[in-house]
Amino acid sequence: MNVLQSVRVFWSSAVIAKKALFDWLSPGLWLMQLFTMSLFQMAFFVYISAYVGNPQATVAYVAVGNAIQSIAYVAIFAVTNVTTEEKEAGTLPGILVTPANRFALFIGRAMFQVLNSIATVVIALFYAAVLFGVDFSSANLVTLAVVIVVTAFATVGFGLMLSSLGFYLRTSMVVANVFLFMGLLFCGVNFPVTMLPEFLQPIAYIFPITYATDAARLAVGGAGLGEVWSYLSAELVVMVVAILIGYAMMMAFEHLARRKGTLEMF
Amino acid sequence: MPRLRAMKAAFEHQARHFLSDPGWLIPNIILPFIITLVALLLYGSSDGPVVMYAVLGGGMMGMWGNTLYASGYSIQSERWWGTLESVLAVPTPLIWIIAGRTIWNALIGVANGLAILAVAVFVLQAPITVADLPLFLLAFLMTLLSLAALGLVFSSAFVLTRQAGVLTNGLEYPIYVATGCMYPIAILPFWTGPLSLSLAPSWGIDAIRIAAGYNPQGLWDGYLGVLDPMVAYAVDIIVVVVMACAYLVIAFYLFGVVDRRARIEGNLGRV
Repeated sequence: MNVLQSVRVFWSSAVIAKKALFDWLSPGLWLMQLFTMSLFQMAFFVYISAYVGNPQATVAYVAVGNAIQSIAYVAIFAVTNVTTEEKEAGTLPGILVTPANRFALFIGRAMFQVLNSIATVVIALFYAAVLFGVDFSSANLVTLAVVIVVTAFATVGFGLMLSSLGFYLRTSMVVANVFLFMGLLFCGVNFPVTMLPEFLQPIAYIFPITYATDAARLAVGGAGLGEVWSYLSAELVVMVVAILIGYAMMMAFEHLARRKGTLEMF
Repeated sequence: MPRLRAMKAAFEHQARHFLSDPGWLIPNIILPFIITLVALLLYGSSDGPVVMYAVLGGGMMGMWGNTLYASGYSIQSERWWGTLESVLAVPTPLIWIIAGRTIWNALIGVANGLAILAVAVFVLQAPITVADLPLFLLAFLMTLLSLAALGLVFSSAFVLTRQAGVLTNGLEYPIYVATGCMYPIAILPFWTGPLSLSLAPSWGIDAIRIAAGYNPQGLWDGYLGVLDPMVAYAVDIIVVVVMACAYLVIAFYLFGVVDRRARIEGNLGRV
Protein backbone atom coordinates (compact mmCIF):
# COMPACT_ATOMS: atom_id res chain seq x y z
CA MET A 1 0.00 0.00 0.00
CA ASN A 2 1.32 3.41 -0.95
CA VAL A 3 0.96 5.30 2.32
CA LEU A 4 1.49 8.75 0.84
CA GLN A 5 -1.12 8.11 -1.81
CA SER A 6 -3.57 6.94 0.83
CA VAL A 7 -2.96 10.05 2.90
CA ARG A 8 -3.63 12.16 -0.21
CA VAL A 9 -6.86 10.25 -0.88
CA PHE A 10 -7.89 10.69 2.74
CA TRP A 11 -7.24 14.42 2.72
CA SER A 12 -8.84 15.17 -0.64
CA SER A 13 -11.84 13.07 0.31
CA ALA A 14 -12.23 15.01 3.57
CA VAL A 15 -11.94 18.37 1.80
CA ILE A 16 -14.38 17.41 -0.96
CA ALA A 17 -16.89 16.09 1.61
CA LYS A 18 -16.86 19.42 3.42
CA LYS A 19 -17.21 21.37 0.17
CA ALA A 20 -20.04 19.11 -0.98
CA LEU A 21 -21.90 19.53 2.31
CA PHE A 22 -21.93 23.30 2.04
CA ASP A 23 -22.69 23.27 -1.65
CA TRP A 24 -25.79 21.20 -1.00
CA LEU A 25 -26.75 22.60 2.39
CA SER A 26 -26.73 26.36 2.83
CA PRO A 27 -24.65 27.51 5.83
CA GLY A 28 -27.78 29.08 7.34
CA LEU A 29 -29.67 25.80 7.26
CA TRP A 30 -26.65 23.92 8.56
CA LEU A 31 -26.47 26.31 11.52
CA MET A 32 -30.21 25.97 12.11
CA GLN A 33 -29.82 22.20 12.16
CA LEU A 34 -26.82 22.44 14.47
CA PHE A 35 -28.61 24.64 16.97
CA THR A 36 -32.10 23.11 16.96
CA MET A 37 -31.85 19.34 16.53
CA SER A 38 -30.46 18.65 19.98
CA LEU A 39 -32.60 21.32 21.64
CA PHE A 40 -36.00 19.86 20.84
CA GLN A 41 -35.01 16.26 21.48
CA MET A 42 -33.54 17.23 24.83
CA ALA A 43 -36.57 19.37 25.71
CA PHE A 44 -38.94 16.53 24.89
CA PHE A 45 -37.27 13.99 27.15
CA VAL A 46 -36.53 16.50 29.88
CA TYR A 47 -40.22 17.41 30.10
CA ILE A 48 -41.20 13.74 30.21
CA SER A 49 -38.67 13.27 33.00
CA ALA A 50 -39.97 16.35 34.85
CA TYR A 51 -43.55 15.07 34.56
CA VAL A 52 -42.77 11.50 35.56
CA GLY A 53 -40.36 12.30 38.39
CA ASN A 54 -38.54 8.97 38.22
CA PRO A 55 -35.63 9.25 40.72
CA GLN A 56 -33.42 7.10 38.48
CA ALA A 57 -33.89 9.49 35.56
CA THR A 58 -33.68 13.00 36.85
CA VAL A 59 -33.78 16.08 34.62
CA ALA A 60 -29.97 16.43 34.83
CA TYR A 61 -29.51 12.73 33.97
CA VAL A 62 -31.77 13.00 30.93
CA ALA A 63 -30.38 16.35 29.76
CA VAL A 64 -26.74 15.20 29.78
CA GLY A 65 -27.70 11.85 28.21
CA ASN A 66 -29.52 13.56 25.35
CA ALA A 67 -26.71 16.07 24.87
CA ILE A 68 -24.30 13.18 24.28
CA GLN A 69 -26.80 11.25 22.18
CA SER A 70 -27.25 14.25 19.88
CA ILE A 71 -23.92 13.20 18.39
CA ALA A 72 -25.76 10.35 16.71
CA TYR A 73 -27.58 12.70 14.32
CA VAL A 74 -24.27 13.58 12.78
CA ALA A 75 -21.98 10.67 13.49
CA ILE A 76 -24.45 7.87 12.82
CA PHE A 77 -27.18 9.32 10.60
CA ALA A 78 -25.00 11.45 8.31
CA VAL A 79 -22.08 9.04 8.14
CA THR A 80 -24.23 5.97 7.53
CA ASN A 81 -25.78 7.75 4.56
CA VAL A 82 -22.42 8.45 2.89
CA THR A 83 -22.65 5.49 0.53
CA THR A 84 -26.34 6.00 -0.21
CA GLU A 85 -25.75 9.64 -1.09
CA GLU A 86 -23.03 8.64 -3.55
CA LYS A 87 -25.40 6.09 -5.02
CA GLU A 88 -28.25 8.56 -5.40
CA ALA A 89 -25.92 11.12 -6.95
CA GLY A 90 -24.79 8.46 -9.43
CA THR A 91 -21.16 8.81 -8.35
CA LEU A 92 -20.58 5.54 -6.49
CA PRO A 93 -19.51 3.47 -9.53
CA GLY A 94 -17.21 6.32 -10.59
CA ILE A 95 -15.52 6.26 -7.21
CA LEU A 96 -15.20 2.51 -7.06
CA VAL A 97 -13.54 2.15 -10.45
CA THR A 98 -10.66 4.29 -9.19
CA PRO A 99 -7.75 2.47 -7.55
CA ALA A 100 -8.08 4.75 -4.49
CA ASN A 101 -7.78 2.99 -1.15
CA ARG A 102 -11.34 2.48 0.07
CA PHE A 103 -10.37 2.75 3.70
CA ALA A 104 -8.73 6.16 3.24
CA LEU A 105 -11.51 7.32 0.93
CA PHE A 106 -14.44 6.67 3.24
CA ILE A 107 -12.65 7.58 6.47
CA GLY A 108 -11.85 10.90 4.78
CA ARG A 109 -15.47 11.36 3.78
CA ALA A 110 -16.52 11.07 7.41
CA MET A 111 -13.86 13.30 8.94
CA PHE A 112 -15.77 16.58 8.75
CA GLN A 113 -18.55 14.88 10.68
CA VAL A 114 -16.16 14.42 13.61
CA LEU A 115 -15.89 18.21 13.91
CA ASN A 116 -19.61 18.55 13.31
CA SER A 117 -20.29 16.01 16.07
CA ILE A 118 -18.12 17.85 18.57
CA ALA A 119 -19.88 21.15 17.82
CA THR A 120 -23.29 19.47 18.16
CA VAL A 121 -22.52 18.07 21.62
CA VAL A 122 -20.97 21.30 22.90
CA ILE A 123 -24.09 23.24 21.89
CA ALA A 124 -26.33 20.59 23.44
CA LEU A 125 -24.42 20.73 26.73
CA PHE A 126 -24.79 24.51 26.66
CA TYR A 127 -28.58 24.03 26.43
CA ALA A 128 -28.46 21.53 29.27
CA ALA A 129 -26.77 24.13 31.48
CA VAL A 130 -28.62 27.28 30.44
CA LEU A 131 -32.13 26.07 29.64
CA PHE A 132 -32.51 22.99 31.80
CA GLY A 133 -30.48 24.01 34.82
CA VAL A 134 -27.87 21.25 34.83
CA ASP A 135 -25.19 22.16 37.35
CA PHE A 136 -21.75 22.33 35.73
CA SER A 137 -20.11 24.13 38.66
CA SER A 138 -18.05 21.10 39.66
CA ALA A 139 -17.59 19.70 36.16
CA ASN A 140 -14.13 18.62 35.05
CA LEU A 141 -14.07 20.36 31.68
CA VAL A 142 -10.87 18.69 30.49
CA THR A 143 -12.33 15.25 31.11
CA LEU A 144 -15.57 16.30 29.47
CA ALA A 145 -13.71 17.58 26.41
CA VAL A 146 -11.77 14.33 26.09
CA VAL A 147 -14.99 12.32 26.43
CA ILE A 148 -16.61 14.37 23.66
CA VAL A 149 -13.66 14.02 21.27
CA VAL A 150 -13.26 10.28 21.84
CA THR A 151 -17.01 9.78 21.45
CA ALA A 152 -17.04 11.73 18.19
CA PHE A 153 -14.35 9.48 16.69
CA ALA A 154 -15.88 6.29 18.10
CA THR A 155 -19.38 7.07 16.89
CA VAL A 156 -18.19 8.11 13.44
CA GLY A 157 -16.34 4.78 13.27
CA PHE A 158 -19.57 3.02 14.17
CA GLY A 159 -21.40 5.02 11.49
CA LEU A 160 -18.82 4.02 8.89
CA MET A 161 -19.43 0.37 9.69
CA LEU A 162 -23.13 0.86 9.06
CA SER A 163 -22.49 2.84 5.88
CA SER A 164 -20.83 -0.20 4.31
CA LEU A 165 -24.33 -1.73 4.09
CA GLY A 166 -25.13 0.99 1.56
CA PHE A 167 -22.94 -0.79 -1.00
CA TYR A 168 -25.43 -3.58 -1.21
CA LEU A 169 -28.77 -2.34 0.17
CA ARG A 170 -30.93 0.00 -1.91
CA THR A 171 -30.56 2.55 0.83
CA SER A 172 -28.73 2.69 4.12
CA MET A 173 -31.17 5.39 5.32
CA VAL A 174 -33.34 2.76 7.00
CA VAL A 175 -30.36 1.35 8.89
CA ALA A 176 -29.30 4.88 9.82
CA ASN A 177 -32.71 5.63 11.28
CA VAL A 178 -32.90 2.38 13.19
CA PHE A 179 -29.51 2.82 14.85
CA LEU A 180 -30.06 6.53 15.42
CA PHE A 181 -33.16 5.94 17.47
CA MET A 182 -32.12 2.67 19.10
CA GLY A 183 -29.61 4.77 21.01
CA LEU A 184 -32.48 6.47 22.83
CA LEU A 185 -33.58 3.13 24.21
CA PHE A 186 -30.37 1.18 24.71
CA CYS A 187 -27.57 3.63 25.47
CA GLY A 188 -28.46 4.87 28.94
CA VAL A 189 -29.53 8.19 27.47
CA ASN A 190 -32.81 8.61 29.30
CA PHE A 191 -32.55 5.99 32.03
CA PRO A 192 -29.86 3.62 33.33
CA VAL A 193 -29.17 0.53 31.22
CA THR A 194 -30.09 -1.54 34.28
CA MET A 195 -33.72 -0.45 33.85
CA LEU A 196 -33.88 -2.39 30.58
CA PRO A 197 -35.08 -6.00 30.69
CA GLU A 198 -32.06 -8.13 31.55
CA PHE A 199 -31.94 -9.93 28.20
CA LEU A 200 -31.67 -6.58 26.37
CA GLN A 201 -28.89 -5.10 28.48
CA PRO A 202 -25.94 -6.70 26.58
CA ILE A 203 -27.11 -4.91 23.40
CA ALA A 204 -26.36 -1.58 25.07
CA TYR A 205 -22.65 -2.28 25.14
CA ILE A 206 -22.20 -2.59 21.39
CA PHE A 207 -22.88 1.16 21.10
CA PRO A 208 -20.09 3.63 21.91
CA ILE A 209 -22.68 6.13 23.17
CA THR A 210 -23.52 3.87 26.13
CA TYR A 211 -20.01 4.34 27.53
CA ALA A 212 -20.02 8.02 26.59
CA THR A 213 -23.20 8.91 28.49
CA ASP A 214 -21.86 7.39 31.70
CA ALA A 215 -18.43 9.00 31.23
CA ALA A 216 -19.96 12.42 30.50
CA ARG A 217 -22.15 12.28 33.61
CA LEU A 218 -19.10 11.42 35.71
CA ALA A 219 -17.17 14.32 34.12
CA VAL A 220 -20.04 16.71 34.83
CA GLY A 221 -19.87 15.49 38.43
CA GLY A 222 -16.15 16.36 38.56
CA ALA A 223 -14.47 13.04 37.72
CA GLY A 224 -10.93 13.13 36.37
CA LEU A 225 -9.57 11.30 33.35
CA GLY A 226 -8.44 8.36 35.48
CA GLU A 227 -11.99 7.74 36.67
CA VAL A 228 -13.48 7.66 33.17
CA TRP A 229 -10.60 5.87 31.48
CA SER A 230 -12.33 2.50 31.51
CA TYR A 231 -15.28 4.00 29.63
CA LEU A 232 -13.05 5.76 27.11
CA SER A 233 -10.96 2.67 26.44
CA ALA A 234 -14.14 0.65 25.91
CA GLU A 235 -15.30 3.26 23.40
CA LEU A 236 -12.01 3.07 21.55
CA VAL A 237 -12.21 -0.71 21.43
CA VAL A 238 -15.74 -0.49 19.98
CA MET A 239 -14.45 2.04 17.42
CA VAL A 240 -11.56 -0.16 16.26
CA VAL A 241 -13.73 -3.26 16.07
CA ALA A 242 -16.47 -1.35 14.20
CA ILE A 243 -14.01 0.04 11.66
CA LEU A 244 -12.43 -3.37 11.06
CA ILE A 245 -15.83 -5.04 10.68
CA GLY A 246 -16.96 -2.14 8.50
CA TYR A 247 -13.95 -2.47 6.22
CA ALA A 248 -14.49 -6.20 5.82
CA MET A 249 -18.18 -5.62 5.12
CA MET A 250 -17.36 -2.86 2.65
CA MET A 251 -15.07 -5.12 0.63
CA ALA A 252 -17.52 -8.01 0.75
CA PHE A 253 -20.54 -5.93 -0.20
CA GLU A 254 -18.65 -4.12 -2.94
CA HIS A 255 -17.69 -7.47 -4.43
CA LEU A 256 -21.26 -8.74 -4.13
CA ALA A 257 -22.75 -5.58 -5.63
CA ARG A 258 -20.31 -5.69 -8.55
CA ARG A 259 -21.13 -9.35 -9.17
CA LYS A 260 -24.90 -8.81 -9.02
CA GLY A 261 -24.82 -5.46 -10.80
CA THR A 262 -26.68 -3.71 -8.00
CA LEU A 263 -24.19 -0.95 -7.34
CA GLU A 264 -26.44 1.70 -8.83
CA MET A 265 -29.72 0.35 -7.50
CA PHE A 266 -31.55 2.66 -5.11
CA MET B 1 -64.05 15.80 -9.28
CA PRO B 2 -60.88 15.70 -11.39
CA ARG B 3 -59.02 17.00 -8.37
CA LEU B 4 -60.47 14.34 -6.11
CA ARG B 5 -59.55 11.75 -8.73
CA ALA B 6 -56.00 13.10 -8.75
CA MET B 7 -55.93 12.93 -4.96
CA LYS B 8 -57.14 9.33 -5.04
CA ALA B 9 -54.52 8.48 -7.67
CA ALA B 10 -51.82 10.13 -5.54
CA PHE B 11 -53.05 8.09 -2.57
CA GLU B 12 -52.81 4.88 -4.59
CA HIS B 13 -49.46 5.86 -6.05
CA GLN B 14 -48.07 6.53 -2.59
CA ALA B 15 -49.45 3.19 -1.41
CA ARG B 16 -47.79 1.34 -4.30
CA HIS B 17 -44.58 3.23 -3.79
CA PHE B 18 -44.61 2.40 -0.11
CA LEU B 19 -45.40 -1.26 -0.70
CA SER B 20 -42.61 -1.54 -3.27
CA ASP B 21 -40.15 -0.49 -0.56
CA PRO B 22 -41.76 -1.34 2.77
CA GLY B 23 -38.42 -0.77 4.48
CA TRP B 24 -39.64 2.79 4.86
CA LEU B 25 -42.08 1.55 7.44
CA ILE B 26 -39.14 1.16 9.79
CA PRO B 27 -37.95 4.78 10.00
CA ASN B 28 -41.51 6.05 9.77
CA ILE B 29 -42.66 4.22 12.84
CA ILE B 30 -39.49 3.45 14.70
CA LEU B 31 -39.01 6.83 16.38
CA PRO B 32 -42.51 7.11 17.88
CA PHE B 33 -42.36 3.44 18.81
CA ILE B 34 -39.02 3.76 20.58
CA ILE B 35 -40.02 7.00 22.27
CA THR B 36 -43.13 5.34 23.62
CA LEU B 37 -41.07 2.47 24.99
CA VAL B 38 -38.66 4.97 26.56
CA ALA B 39 -41.61 6.83 28.10
CA LEU B 40 -43.06 3.57 29.44
CA LEU B 41 -39.74 2.72 31.06
CA LEU B 42 -39.43 6.23 32.47
CA TYR B 43 -42.94 6.06 33.90
CA GLY B 44 -41.67 2.98 35.69
CA SER B 45 -45.14 1.49 35.85
CA SER B 46 -47.23 -0.48 33.43
CA ASP B 47 -50.65 -0.18 34.98
CA GLY B 48 -53.47 0.67 32.59
CA PRO B 49 -53.91 4.44 32.89
CA VAL B 50 -50.20 5.25 32.76
CA VAL B 51 -49.58 3.02 29.77
CA MET B 52 -52.58 4.62 28.12
CA TYR B 53 -51.02 8.05 28.43
CA ALA B 54 -47.81 6.98 26.68
CA VAL B 55 -49.49 4.73 24.14
CA LEU B 56 -51.94 7.39 22.98
CA GLY B 57 -49.17 9.96 22.74
CA GLY B 58 -47.04 7.50 20.77
CA GLY B 59 -49.90 6.88 18.38
CA MET B 60 -50.23 10.58 17.68
CA MET B 61 -46.48 10.90 17.18
CA GLY B 62 -46.58 8.07 14.67
CA MET B 63 -49.25 9.85 12.65
CA TRP B 64 -47.30 13.11 12.68
CA GLY B 65 -44.01 11.45 11.71
CA ASN B 66 -45.60 9.76 8.74
CA THR B 67 -47.49 12.85 7.62
CA LEU B 68 -44.35 14.90 7.73
CA TYR B 69 -42.38 12.30 5.78
CA ALA B 70 -45.09 12.16 3.13
CA SER B 71 -44.99 15.87 2.51
CA GLY B 72 -41.26 16.37 2.94
CA TYR B 73 -39.53 13.37 1.49
CA SER B 74 -42.02 12.79 -1.33
CA ILE B 75 -41.20 16.25 -2.68
CA GLN B 76 -37.48 15.75 -2.18
CA SER B 77 -37.63 12.38 -3.93
CA GLU B 78 -39.51 13.86 -6.89
CA ARG B 79 -36.81 16.48 -7.14
CA TRP B 80 -34.04 13.86 -7.13
CA TRP B 81 -35.82 11.75 -9.71
CA GLY B 82 -36.37 14.76 -11.95
CA THR B 83 -40.15 14.39 -11.92
CA LEU B 84 -41.13 17.36 -9.72
CA GLU B 85 -41.50 19.73 -12.68
CA SER B 86 -43.78 17.27 -14.48
CA VAL B 87 -45.92 16.83 -11.38
CA LEU B 88 -46.29 20.60 -11.06
CA ALA B 89 -47.10 20.97 -14.74
CA VAL B 90 -50.23 18.78 -14.65
CA PRO B 91 -53.58 20.64 -14.49
CA THR B 92 -54.32 19.47 -10.93
CA PRO B 93 -52.78 21.80 -8.31
CA LEU B 94 -49.92 20.20 -6.40
CA ILE B 95 -51.73 20.42 -3.06
CA TRP B 96 -54.26 17.77 -4.11
CA ILE B 97 -51.47 15.39 -5.06
CA ILE B 98 -49.56 15.97 -1.84
CA ALA B 99 -52.83 15.60 0.11
CA GLY B 100 -53.37 12.12 -1.35
CA ARG B 101 -49.89 11.07 -0.34
CA THR B 102 -50.22 12.61 3.10
CA ILE B 103 -53.47 10.78 3.84
CA TRP B 104 -51.85 7.45 2.94
CA ASN B 105 -48.91 8.08 5.23
CA ALA B 106 -51.11 9.28 8.08
CA LEU B 107 -53.04 6.00 7.79
CA ILE B 108 -49.78 4.07 7.96
CA GLY B 109 -49.08 6.07 11.11
CA VAL B 110 -52.12 4.40 12.66
CA ALA B 111 -50.22 1.11 12.33
CA ASN B 112 -47.66 2.57 14.69
CA GLY B 113 -50.30 3.24 17.34
CA LEU B 114 -51.61 -0.29 16.97
CA ALA B 115 -48.11 -1.77 17.20
CA ILE B 116 -47.45 0.16 20.40
CA LEU B 117 -50.79 -0.94 21.79
CA ALA B 118 -49.98 -4.57 20.95
CA VAL B 119 -46.63 -4.35 22.76
CA ALA B 120 -48.31 -2.71 25.76
CA VAL B 121 -50.97 -5.41 25.98
CA PHE B 122 -49.00 -8.53 25.06
CA VAL B 123 -45.48 -7.73 26.29
CA LEU B 124 -46.11 -5.39 29.21
CA GLN B 125 -49.38 -7.15 30.12
CA ALA B 126 -51.09 -3.80 30.51
CA PRO B 127 -54.87 -3.79 30.77
CA ILE B 128 -56.01 -1.26 28.17
CA THR B 129 -59.56 -0.02 28.28
CA VAL B 130 -61.30 2.71 26.31
CA ALA B 131 -64.09 4.47 28.19
CA ASP B 132 -66.09 5.54 25.15
CA LEU B 133 -65.10 3.84 21.90
CA PRO B 134 -67.17 5.94 19.44
CA LEU B 135 -65.92 9.22 20.92
CA PHE B 136 -62.40 7.80 20.98
CA LEU B 137 -62.53 6.87 17.29
CA LEU B 138 -64.00 10.26 16.40
CA ALA B 139 -61.22 12.07 18.26
CA PHE B 140 -58.62 9.78 16.68
CA LEU B 141 -59.94 10.46 13.17
CA MET B 142 -60.16 14.21 13.70
CA THR B 143 -56.61 14.31 15.07
CA LEU B 144 -55.39 12.31 12.08
CA LEU B 145 -57.02 14.75 9.67
CA SER B 146 -55.72 17.78 11.55
CA LEU B 147 -52.20 16.37 11.41
CA ALA B 148 -52.56 15.83 7.68
CA ALA B 149 -53.75 19.44 7.28
CA LEU B 150 -50.83 20.72 9.35
CA GLY B 151 -48.45 18.67 7.22
CA LEU B 152 -49.85 20.33 4.11
CA VAL B 153 -49.09 23.79 5.51
CA PHE B 154 -45.43 22.85 5.98
CA SER B 155 -45.18 21.01 2.68
CA SER B 156 -45.72 24.18 0.66
CA ALA B 157 -42.34 25.39 1.92
CA PHE B 158 -40.74 22.08 0.98
CA VAL B 159 -41.45 22.74 -2.70
CA LEU B 160 -39.23 25.80 -2.70
CA THR B 161 -36.21 24.31 -1.00
CA ARG B 162 -33.63 21.76 -2.06
CA GLN B 163 -33.35 20.70 1.56
CA ALA B 164 -36.85 19.41 2.26
CA GLY B 165 -35.38 16.37 3.97
CA VAL B 166 -33.46 18.50 6.46
CA LEU B 167 -36.54 20.56 7.27
CA THR B 168 -38.59 17.40 7.61
CA ASN B 169 -36.22 15.98 10.20
CA GLY B 170 -36.15 19.29 12.02
CA LEU B 171 -39.92 19.59 12.34
CA GLU B 172 -40.53 16.26 14.01
CA TYR B 173 -39.53 16.95 17.61
CA PRO B 174 -40.85 20.53 17.91
CA ILE B 175 -44.39 19.26 17.34
CA TYR B 176 -43.87 16.45 19.83
CA VAL B 177 -42.67 18.98 22.41
CA ALA B 178 -45.31 21.62 21.80
CA THR B 179 -48.38 19.38 21.60
CA GLY B 180 -47.67 17.68 24.91
CA CYS B 181 -48.24 14.25 23.47
CA MET B 182 -46.35 12.63 26.36
CA TYR B 183 -47.06 15.11 29.16
CA PRO B 184 -49.56 17.86 29.96
CA ILE B 185 -48.60 21.10 28.22
CA ALA B 186 -49.05 22.85 31.56
CA ILE B 187 -45.52 21.73 32.49
CA LEU B 188 -44.03 23.63 29.55
CA PRO B 189 -42.88 27.22 30.15
CA PHE B 190 -45.94 29.44 30.38
CA TRP B 191 -44.95 31.57 27.37
CA THR B 192 -45.12 28.53 25.09
CA GLY B 193 -48.84 28.15 25.85
CA PRO B 194 -50.11 30.15 22.84
CA LEU B 195 -47.89 28.11 20.52
CA SER B 196 -49.16 24.81 21.92
CA LEU B 197 -52.77 25.95 21.81
CA SER B 198 -52.39 27.05 18.17
CA LEU B 199 -51.64 23.44 17.18
CA ALA B 200 -54.72 21.32 16.50
CA PRO B 201 -53.01 18.08 17.62
CA SER B 202 -52.67 19.52 21.15
CA TRP B 203 -56.48 19.63 21.32
CA GLY B 204 -56.83 16.34 19.48
CA ILE B 205 -54.68 14.37 21.91
CA ASP B 206 -56.63 15.96 24.78
CA ALA B 207 -59.90 14.74 23.26
CA ILE B 208 -58.43 11.28 22.68
CA ARG B 209 -57.37 11.02 26.32
CA ILE B 210 -60.75 12.20 27.59
CA ALA B 211 -62.56 9.66 25.41
CA ALA B 212 -60.17 6.93 26.54
CA GLY B 213 -61.01 7.80 30.13
CA TYR B 214 -57.56 8.93 31.17
CA ASN B 215 -56.76 12.60 31.30
CA PRO B 216 -55.34 13.42 34.74
CA GLN B 217 -54.33 16.90 33.69
CA GLY B 218 -56.20 18.17 30.67
CA LEU B 219 -55.31 20.86 28.19
CA TRP B 220 -57.49 23.29 30.04
CA ASP B 221 -55.94 22.83 33.45
CA GLY B 222 -53.46 25.52 34.26
CA TYR B 223 -54.64 27.69 31.40
CA LEU B 224 -58.40 27.89 31.22
CA GLY B 225 -59.60 26.23 34.39
CA VAL B 226 -61.01 22.74 34.97
CA LEU B 227 -64.00 21.77 32.83
CA ASP B 228 -66.44 18.90 32.83
CA PRO B 229 -64.79 16.17 30.69
CA MET B 230 -67.64 15.98 28.18
CA VAL B 231 -67.71 19.76 27.74
CA ALA B 232 -63.92 19.77 27.38
CA TYR B 233 -64.17 16.94 24.82
CA ALA B 234 -66.77 18.81 22.76
CA VAL B 235 -64.72 22.01 22.80
CA ASP B 236 -61.58 20.05 21.88
CA ILE B 237 -63.24 18.48 18.85
CA ILE B 238 -64.71 21.80 17.68
CA VAL B 239 -61.32 23.49 17.98
CA VAL B 240 -59.61 20.62 16.12
CA VAL B 241 -62.10 20.89 13.24
CA VAL B 242 -61.88 24.69 13.07
CA MET B 243 -58.09 24.64 13.17
CA ALA B 244 -57.85 21.88 10.57
CA CYS B 245 -60.06 23.97 8.27
CA ALA B 246 -57.86 27.00 8.93
CA TYR B 247 -54.74 24.96 8.13
CA LEU B 248 -56.33 23.87 4.85
CA VAL B 249 -57.14 27.46 3.89
CA ILE B 250 -53.58 28.53 4.71
CA ALA B 251 -52.16 25.53 2.81
CA PHE B 252 -54.23 26.30 -0.30
CA TYR B 253 -53.06 29.91 -0.21
CA LEU B 254 -49.40 28.99 0.33
CA PHE B 255 -49.44 26.35 -2.40
CA GLY B 256 -50.85 28.98 -4.80
CA VAL B 257 -48.02 31.36 -3.92
CA VAL B 258 -45.40 28.64 -4.14
CA ASP B 259 -46.74 27.33 -7.43
CA ARG B 260 -46.48 30.77 -9.02
CA ARG B 261 -43.04 31.44 -7.60
CA ALA B 262 -41.70 28.06 -8.72
CA ARG B 263 -42.93 28.70 -12.27
CA ILE B 264 -41.33 32.16 -12.34
CA GLU B 265 -37.97 31.10 -10.92
CA GLY B 266 -37.84 27.88 -12.92
CA ASN B 267 -35.40 26.09 -10.59
CA LEU B 268 -37.55 23.17 -9.48
CA GLY B 269 -35.26 20.72 -11.23
CA ARG B 270 -32.23 21.86 -9.25
CA VAL B 271 -31.11 19.14 -6.88
